[in-house]
Amino acid sequence: MVLALCAGMVIFVLAKAWPSFASNGIGWFGAGEPDTQLGDIFKSPSAPSEYVYEIGVWPLLWGTILTTGVAVFLGLFFSLFTAIFIVEFAPPRLERLLEPVVRLLAAVPSVVYGLIGILVLVPFVANNLISDERKESVGYVTQLTGASWSVAALVLTVMIVPIMITIIVDALRSVPKGWIEGAAALGVNRWRIMWTISVRTVRPAIIAAVILAAARALGEAIMISMISGSLSFVPQPVDGLTFFFEPVRTLASSIVDNAEGLSVIPFGQTIYAFAFLLLVSSAVLSWAGWAAKIPMRKYGIRP
Amino acid sequence: MSLPGDQTTYSGPPPPVRRIVVSEEPTIVEPPRLDPSAPAAAVTGAPLTRRSDSLPASAIVERMRTENLRLYYGDNEAVKGVSLPVCRGEVLALIGPSGCGKTTLLRSLNRLTELTATARREGQIFLDNEDVDRIEVTQLRRRVSMVFQQPNPFPMSIFDNVAYALREGANRKPRKSALMEPVRQALDRAGLLAEVESNLDHPALRLSGGQQQRLCIARSLAAQPEVLLLDEPCSALDPKSTETIEQLIVKLRSEVAVVIVTHNLQQARRIADKVGFMYLGDLVEFGDGEQLFSNPREARTADYVAGSFG
Repeated sequence: MVLALCAGMVIFVLAKAWPSFASNGIGWFGAGEPDTQLGDIFKSPSAPSEYVYEIGVWPLLWGTILTTGVAVFLGLFFSLFTAIFIVEFAPPRLERLLEPVVRLLAAVPSVVYGLIGILVLVPFVANNLISDERKESVGYVTQLTGASWSVAALVLTVMIVPIMITIIVDALRSVPKGWIEGAAALGVNRWRIMWTISVRTVRPAIIAAVILAAARALGEAIMISMISGSLSFVPQPVDGLTFFFEPVRTLASSIVDNAEGLSVIPFGQTIYAFAFLLLVSSAVLSWAGWAAKIPMRKYGIRP
Repeated sequence: MSLPGDQTTYSGPPPPVRRIVVSEEPTIVEPPRLDPSAPAAAVTGAPLTRRSDSLPASAIVERMRTENLRLYYGDNEAVKGVSLPVCRGEVLALIGPSGCGKTTLLRSLNRLTELTATARREGQIFLDNEDVDRIEVTQLRRRVSMVFQQPNPFPMSIFDNVAYALREGANRKPRKSALMEPVRQALDRAGLLAEVESNLDHPALRLSGGQQQRLCIARSLAAQPEVLLLDEPCSALDPKSTETIEQLIVKLRSEVAVVIVTHNLQQARRIADKVGFMYLGDLVEFGDGEQLFSNPREARTADYVAGSFG
């Protein structure tokens, strides 16, 4: 039943999106100006033979990869150490306080994060971190308003970290006590025990946490649409510090931003193509998670 | 219509349910013939003899000593003022009913009780006349290693399990080739090498229970400890593995001071040179194994050894 629903959804979306893929070919994934191209598609003539489909979504892809990748990377680092701290080093009272707080954070709606981002973080970045010279230096390409991919990635990190912490903490708690005592009896200190026994054992859970977090980050639309600047710009790492203040637009946020134009047939089909790509990437993510756990099963680490 | 019971029409083998006819001669099933050459021990259990004689007094060196050791869990006093020597060259067995502080005493010797939040210790423990509280705890546990009741090999390969303590103890990460020799040596001392030699990279958790326990002993031995604490190492094992481990313990005592907690009186009798009988946190009697079992001084010891309670 669920399988049929999934398959049905994928097929339906692919069927709807097909004209956009078919008319662009491999160039669909290539460089382009999605913002202006979407405008042209929106204004395309009403005769089906004259529909405009031309688009290159690389800027959107790059925005998605950049925000998701950085957020998951930072989140993994942060959540792993927080989880180790909660399980092994925090005094019991702090532990009892931290856990409900983390669970609460996991439930905060993303719009709230977006609101805080756009009202607090974006003005802060614009006023304090970006100098006027820096704004002028790129003025002819884009405007640095403070709304940028790095702010979006940071807020995204805050959004995904609570889920990751919860999963990793639960896994660390379930590591057999005998292994920890056994390592302690060999004269290994607490930190090394955590690192060589516990973290090693919970790798499958860490992978699961990463997959779940990446899936959430990939699909996050509203918050990113609010604070990433929502421009199909391609931030270049070679820009130095300016790189961090450049705006992006992600696949998911383009769907939200362009929702009002869906009644125009070719436009709707292009948006469906974005949705199809998101669907496929989450499928690839869950497959990758499954594949990454295979080598661990051998030594008795159960996912 | 023919029924299975109808003898006139049914000619196949007898049906599974047969009628018992009281007046008929009963069928007597022959008992299986025992092979007369089979050893009697297989049926009656191994005779209670020492695995080996005591070592000469010159080989016995005191390594650890507890002085008026008291251990508490919260307000509950688990060990009540025990003073005990632990010597190399002798196997010290702690016997007694469950919950009488044997394991707690054992775990305190390498300060493993400190992992329990509610545990508290009074009195002193010395390792080579040095107070264990003055020794850095990881250093102490490297010298005083412990094997647990349940085999607890790590979820790694056999090689990595044995090499674990070596890798963690080294300042710089040693190469695998450099570790091969000490790992094989440790496995050999634990009597496991022959069985796992060809598959050192197999997962340790796939070994049988007895092999896992010997692997845990090898893992402890790899770090060259001076004292080995064994907490009922054979309680989860079959007689064959138990025998292997007992022989191993007797062999080890000349190099390492061995303390073993056991519920198995026969085992204590087989392997121990010195026996301590603990009851409700007190060390009731401490003495030579033979003497304690055959001629106990205390009435409680005599009752326990005779099996009156336990």
